[in-house]
Amino acid sequence: MGIPTTYTEQELVLALKERNNQAFGFLYDNYAGALYSIIKQIITDNNELASDVLQEVFINIWRKIETYDQTKGRLFTWMLNIARNASIDMLRSKSYQNSQKNQELPDNVYKGVANQTTQQNVDNIGLKKVLEKLKPEHRVLVELAYFKGFTHEEIAEMMAIPLGTVKTRIRNALLQLREYLK
Amino acid sequence: MNLKDYIESGIIESYVMGLASESERAEFEQLCTQHPELVAARRKFEEGLEEYASKQAMPPPPEVKVKILEVIGNTGSRTTASPNPPKIVNMENSKSPARSSGLLRFVAAASVVLLLGMAWLYYQTSQQNKDLTQENDRLKVSYDTTKNILDRIVQEQKQVISDPNTTVVNMVGTKVAPKSSANIYWDSASTNVYLVVKNMPKLPNDQQYQLWALIDGKPKDLGVFDATDNKVILKMKNTQKAQAFAITIEKHGGSSSPTLEKMQSLGKTLQTQ
Repeated sequence: MGIPTTYTEQELVLALKERNNQAFGFLYDNYAGALYSIIKQIITDNNELASDVLQEVFINIWRKIETYDQTKGRLFTWMLNIARNASIDMLRSKSYQNSQKNQELPDNVYKGVANQTTQQNVDNIGLKKVLEKLKPEHRVLVELAYFKGFTHEEIAEMMAIPLGTVKTRIRNALLQLREYLK
Repeated sequence: MNLKDYIESGIIESYVMGLASESERAEFEQLCTQHPELVAARRKFEEGLEEYASKQAMPPPPEVKVKILEVIGNTGSRTTASPNPPKIVNMENSKSPARSSGLLRFVAAASVVLLLGMAWLYYQTSQQNKDLTQENDRLKVSYDTTKNILDRIVQEQKQVISDPNTTVVNMVGTKVAPKSSANIYWDSASTNVYLVVKNMPKLPNDQQYQLWALIDGKPKDLGVFDATDNKVILKMKNTQKAQAFAITIEKHGGSSSPTLEKMQSLGKTLQTQ
């Protein structure tokens, strides 16, 4: 990293809000890898677009740091959600769709995802690795909700299961995830 | 509401991971302001998530940081964040690096052109210089040769003139050609005869001047000459004797005996008969 200064989260947020370039460098060096990993778990097949998203994410972090509210969560949580949202936006963008040879319409996503989850087990990285511990019916829901960005309603419709069941299963899956992360 | 059940419902994970609905988020945030233990539980999950994500970190391509710092550096001091942050596409289309690299390219290209121009000019100049040097050498050789010849002639003349054996005969004009004049340098020792034309009218192409030596009243042919240039020293035929010299106008090539009525000039030597 080469930067002698280290920051507590409190100091880091303060320095970032003061537009401190050194603090931003520290932020990048410490978090870019983790955020790049989550981006790659969503944009699985295009490293170039994943890099573009990482760029956009850090520029947005720099520009929107004033809107970060510490009472609502940790800095990393805030950044993780920016990265996830940006990745899902990219997933749905024309440039990404054009880069895909076989476009999958939302109706077919379930099949596609189901195939992917069985085919790509070996390649699974990051949080997806944790998902392997889950029961398949739970895993697919988290996959669709977290990594594909579908709302619970969309998933319920897509999979023809009641909205309540979707919610319960996702909650149960997340609780299992929490146990794993403890 | 039982807080413990709420904590165990999965709402914390759902909220942190961005999967909660708007109403669920609002409720959760509201409850967090009242229940520190809810905040503590949330924080615990967040820390676990962060720790896990950090372990799973993948190094991004190094150029990403450079590009980001470039954008940050350009806009960093602005305190008001733009409501619509530019997309990556804007960054890539950003004009300033392109312009500076364009300028660099132009300068580089101009330098190459300039260098080529100077090389050509140098080549031309050195080629010209070489040509001039060669020409100069040729002229110097030519000059040296000419100078040597001239020096020899001057030396000869000096010898002729300064030699005590040389008799100088001043030829004066006759009634036919009162203005004609020439000098004869006659070396009695070597018998060489030199003639210097001082002023002799130019003749038609079919006529030439002829020099005669008068020996005991008889003319002796000493050769013909053209009076094209004055003050040119001409070597004539030798003679051992001469009481006088005479110049006549004869047909081209000379005559066996002088046409005396056309005698142009006459000079007597001191030689006794």
